[in-house]
Formats: sequence, C-alpha cells, structure tokens
Amino acid sequence: MEHSQTYQINLEVFQGPLDLLLFLIKKKKIDIHNIPIASITKEYLKYLDKKKNINLERESEFLLMAALLIHIKSRMLLPRETCEEEEEDPRKILVDRLLDYENIKAACKILREKEEEQIKKWKRTALPKTVSFQELDFIEVSLFDVAEVFFHLMIRKEKDGIKVIKRKDFSVKEKKQAIIRYLKDHSYLDFLEYFGSQKTLEESMVAFFCLLELISEQTVIAVQESLFHRIKVWLRSEVTE
Amino acid sequence: MKKDLKNIIEALIFVSIDPLSLDKIKDILKEFPDKEIDRAAAELTDYYSENKRGITIIQASGGYLFATKNEYDEYIKRLLKHEKKQKLSREALETLSTIAYHQPTTLAEISAIRGVDASHCLKTLLEKKLIKIVGRKKSPGKPLIYRTTKHFLTYFELNSIEDLPSKEEIEKILAEKYEEE
Repeated sequence: MEHSQTYQINLEVFQGPLDLLLFLIKKKKIDIHNIPIASITKEYLKYLDKKKNINLERESEFLLMAALLIHIKSRMLLPRETCEEEEEDPRKILVDRLLDYENIKAACKILREKEEEQIKKWKRTALPKTVSFQELDFIEVSLFDVAEVFFHLMIRKEKDGIKVIKRKDFSVKEKKQAIIRYLKDHSYLDFLEYFGSQKTLEESMVAFFCLLELISEQTVIAVQESLFHRIKVWLRSEVTE
Repeated sequence: MKKDLKNIIEALIFVSIDPLSLDKIKDILKEFPDKEIDRAAAELTDYYSENKRGITIIQASGGYLFATKNEYDEYIKRLLKHEKKQKLSREALETLSTIAYHQPTTLAEISAIRGVDASHCLKTLLEKKLIKIVGRKKSPGKPLIYRTTKHFLTYFELNSIEDLPSKEEIEKILAEKYEEE
C-alpha cells in the first residue's frame, strides 16, 4: 500500500508523537488551529496497527498522544454543564504545544547555522595545554572526586586490619615537601598507589590533607584520563621551572 | 596614548581563555575613562574585521574573544589533527533550544514541549557544559531546574540570551517553510 509506505519512510526522521502529529497535520494540509481530531486519531491508530516491531518506549508515547486526542474529542462531543463559563477549548493545550514546538524547531534551524559557523572558528581553548598533556585528554578533577577516592582507600585500609596506630607525628609541612619531591622524581603520582604505600592511617591522612592543600594552592593538578579513571597528580609546570 | 590603549585591550583579550567583558576591562584599566575604552575596543574589533588577518575578535557571552576566521578551519584541523568537530545531534539541539527559551525549566516541561523523554539529551548537554542545574523546584517531586550556561552563549556566538533567534526571525523561517510546501 502506497499510503503506509510513505509513513514508514518518513518515520525514520521522526522523534516523537509531536513530530508525527505535525506531519499528519501537514499531510492533510490542515490549519493547525483547526485540528479535526477524529480523522487524525483514526490515522494515528491505523499507524499503530500497522507497526509490526513495537518499540515500547516510543509507542507508549504515541499511545499517550492518541489517548490525548481521543480525550479532547470526547470532551468536545459531550455536553458540559459549565459551558456557559466559556471553558477553555481543550484543543488549545495541544495547539499551544504544537506551535511552541514548531517555533523551537525553526529557532533550531537558525542556531544550527550559527553552530556551523562557530565550529569553524577556533579559540585558544582548542590548544593543548602543555607538552606533557598533549597525548591524553585529561579531565581536571574536583576536590570531591579526590575525597571520594580517599574514602575508598580508607575502606580498603580498614580491611587490612590496622590495629595499632603508632605514636608518630607527621608534619604537614614536611609531608608536603615529600610529595613535591616525589613528584619531581616521578613526574606524576598515582593517587591510589601513593596512599597504598603509606604505612599508617595517620600518615595517609596527613598525606591526603597535604594533597588537598597542594591542589587548592595550585601547586599541583589532579587529573583523570576519563571519568572514574585513576586520578593522577602532576606538578603544575610553573612550579617545575 | 589612545593607540596604546587599543594595544593594551588587545593584549588583555589575547590572554583571556573565556570571553573578556568590557566591564572587566574597565575595571582593570581604571586610569582610562570608560568612554575611551569603549571607543578603543570598538576600533580594535573593527580593525580585526576589516583587515585581512587570520584571526578575529568575536563578541560572545558578553565579552571579547580571539578566534580564528572560519575560512582557515581546514588548516587548523591539520595542525591539531582533528578530523571534525562534533555537532550537536538534532534531539540535543532541540532540547537545548527548548531550555534556552523556557528557562528556568524542568525535565517534565522540556519533555512535554518536545513530546519525547529528554533525559538522555539532558545528560549529554550537561556533559558538554551547555546547560547547568541551578536548583530544585518547590513542587511535588522537587524536580531539578535547568538553565543554559555562559558556554552555551559562546558556543553559538550569542552575546546574551536576548540574542536568541527572535519571534520575527522564527516567523520568517516558518513562512518560508510553508511556502515550500
């Protein structure tokens, strides 16, 4: 059937029931303000009948739209007691939405042109930051990400069954210098590994605080290759020089 | 003196990664009268748009920013070994402009206007930093409220949210569309 064929083809470009409705309206060359609910609903249901492979998520939205149309139709057919009060036309909700959506789609056309122009203009953000970062696209992580990894670590340490914390004081200042020294020697520090190598809970705590401080005073940078990846800490290049 | 000011502004824009606003420039250059800064900035942008240069100063998100001219796109791609920049998908763009016109807005509102569930698109747009969550609505379910970001303006080279396609522009497009059919 030719009729159903055009439907199928066009449906590839459809995203949702509003698209379909717009399409149906245009196909029938119907004025958007005067939707003949019955005929559109009929076409709608006919379409649903023909669909063999049902994509539940999409079809449920189609059904919702069909139900809405029928609801509007029924409300218009039944005499209503409050009709003297100039009740709002139930079709208005639908028309407003459709108009709104048409406007959005038209605006998208303009925005798309702007995007296409804009994408060709390169800004300085496109440049790789420093030589050492060139190969990998790092994500700078926030203190929260660092903290989260730390808690994981603490849980891991706990499982190791630490019983006694020896009385040894760690100075934040010394530890900070130790971290910087480590970074100068090793170029970077693997967050998990580094804390794993700390002997006691207290020592890792101090090291963690040091690291937070170093991050906040911008001496080091904590980066991830991608989300949920290992956090690596680098010395900011200015410091190395 | 005046020529110098133009150079100073040029230098300031050059080092800025994000668009640099006139207010910020005025704030930094307190020794110059505002009017002179306005004039120098205008002359500077004119200079770049009139002269045959590889770079230009664009105005976006309420500030000035250096960018390459689009005709040199392919050479830059060669340098940066970029195949092509990813454009937004149709769904993402529709969702984004729905938010832009209706902000502050929620997932339910966006989905209702577009007639489809927009949650996946929202995730993509959040990742691209084109939209942000600004809070929760004080209504049942306390849905999250979304707004477009400064980066959104820069992305489309819009100066402010008022620069979105106007009612007249939209009507023109719709009129053209219906004529075609």
